[in-house]
Amino acid sequence: MTPLPLRPPLPQRAALQRGLLLALWALVLLRSSTDGRLDLLLRAAFHPLVALAGLLLLLLALLQLRLGLVDAAAAAERASRRQGLLLLVTVAFTLAVVVLPPAPSFAELAGQRPRDDTAQEDLSFVLPPAQRSLTDWVRLLRSQPDPDLFAGDPVRISGFVLPMAGEPPQIARLLVRCCLADAAPVGLPVRWPGPPPPPDQWLRLEGRMAVTSGADGRQLVVLPSRIELIARPARPLEP
Amino acid sequence: MNPARLATAWALFQGLLIEALPFLLIGVLISAAARWFAPGGQWLRQLPSHPVLGPLSGAALGFALPACECGNVPVARQMLVGGAPLGAALGFLFAAPVLNPIVLASTWAAFPNQPWLLLARPLGAVLVAVGLALLLRLVPEAELLQADLLAERRLALPLSEVSLLERRGGVLGGGGLGGGALTAAPGRPRRPSPAELFRHGGNEFLQLALLLVLGCLLAALVQTFVPRSWLLAVGGAPTLSILALMLLALVVSVCSSVDAFLALSFAAQVTPGALLAFLLLGPVIDLKLVGLLGLLLRPRGLLLTIAGASLLVLLIGQWINLWRL
Repeated sequence: MTPLPLRPPLPQRAALQRGLLLALWALVLLRSSTDGRLDLLLRAAFHPLVALAGLLLLLLALLQLRLGLVDAAAAAERASRRQGLLLLVTVAFTLAVVVLPPAPSFAELAGQRPRDDTAQEDLSFVLPPAQRSLTDWVRLLRSQPDPDLFAGDPVRISGFVLPMAGEPPQIARLLVRCCLADAAPVGLPVRWPGPPPPPDQWLRLEGRMAVTSGADGRQLVVLPSRIELIARPARPLEP
Repeated sequence: MNPARLATAWALFQGLLIEALPFLLIGVLISAAARWFAPGGQWLRQLPSHPVLGPLSGAALGFALPACECGNVPVARQMLVGGAPLGAALGFLFAAPVLNPIVLASTWAAFPNQPWLLLARPLGAVLVAVGLALLLRLVPEAELLQADLLAERRLALPLSEVSLLERRGGVLGGGGLGGGALTAAPGRPRRPSPAELFRHGGNEFLQLALLLVLGCLLAALVQTFVPRSWLLAVGGAPTLSILALMLLALVVSVCSSVDAFLALSFAAQVTPGALLAFLLLGPVIDLKLVGLLGLLLRPRGLLLTIAGASLLVLLIGQWINLWRL
């Protein structure tokens, strides 16, 4: 009669612990893919990659769990103290990421970053002024810096309020090429009719472009005729 | 402490982590596939051990195994475990994050009007990798590599490549070992069972993921509390701009497959040498990577890597500034 292999109790089985931890990482990626937070963190091109990695990790986790229960050699593997520590720290971090979604302050982030100064050569100039986004306007002004060309043009843009040192706040957006870590702000000066809204507040502005003379010479400024407070859009980052 | 700033650091941490995890998984899968298809890594031991050809061959592997700097740590570890010459594995570790089709394509997409950069980035990466491999060769393997990696690596190496002092008593006292026994490679390796493959790959991913968490946490905190404009304020000064952009590369910790797009946003504000320095140093070392590299290298090796890479990149940046300014 062959002796049965000694198996540690279920909680001490290393393969089961591995399966659980892999499942937690899968949960982080899948939850991020479904709760909309990726729109706040990463450029859209990376979203399918994150979801795919989450599904793959889930599959690997299920296979590990199955091995921990079925395969004799895998089921006999006992978890070490080091694995116990790995378990604790991973559980703490993955659950924290799942439970505490990101809520960045765009004004705070933008305040620490230099402005994006790339000019897009393939900008579509056929867009009527009222359909240009804030980013379109900034790029257009960079490639055609003469403010008089656009004076009086209608403006309909949205963005967040970005405080500026020594001047009135601007309306701004964040450009992201990979993830929030590389976000760079772009903004337009606004002549606020009253006290400016608080930093980070999202607004939709309607009005006209006007030319003002300031310390930096003549520049375009948004003259809003209508200011609407809005919630942060689902996809607040621009490519 | 400003709660908005803390919330922003938490979001940055999540952005860095979630972006890097898929690439880490790709690296672990490549490493597991190598273990499955080439058990024992015999082909790895065929790579040249020449001080310069070794790193060059490792760097060239980047074209075959497209992984960014997070993904290539498990692949480089597998190379070392499989018995690849140290220079070849280090050449892969340091150059592959740049010398791979995805990174070269993204550099081209970001800077189509700067053909010199398309040539200088891969050439610079090879120079840095060869320089670092030559530098790290000066340290004995036992003092360079982590103990558990070294133990696994010795199982794959022929006895003749393991120094007498490093051999365990059983071999030293065995007697009667002729030259043939010393040069003989270990017996024909068997393919790992699926359970072994899952155990090894699972442990590797979990360990690296945790180190990645620590690296991302550090990078997010530094990014939030050190304004980036400080670093870019010295943009026009030739040497200072290179040093500032090197520091920025360490702090920002973005993946090498997209760092060219980030560089695009400040390319006009900095010197060409500084721009290249940013694109060369980040793939070799950054805050996010410190923990991951710590899985391969002991602290001494890690410090030498940081110092050597910084010096080489600074020199290359200076040379580019002399040429382009």
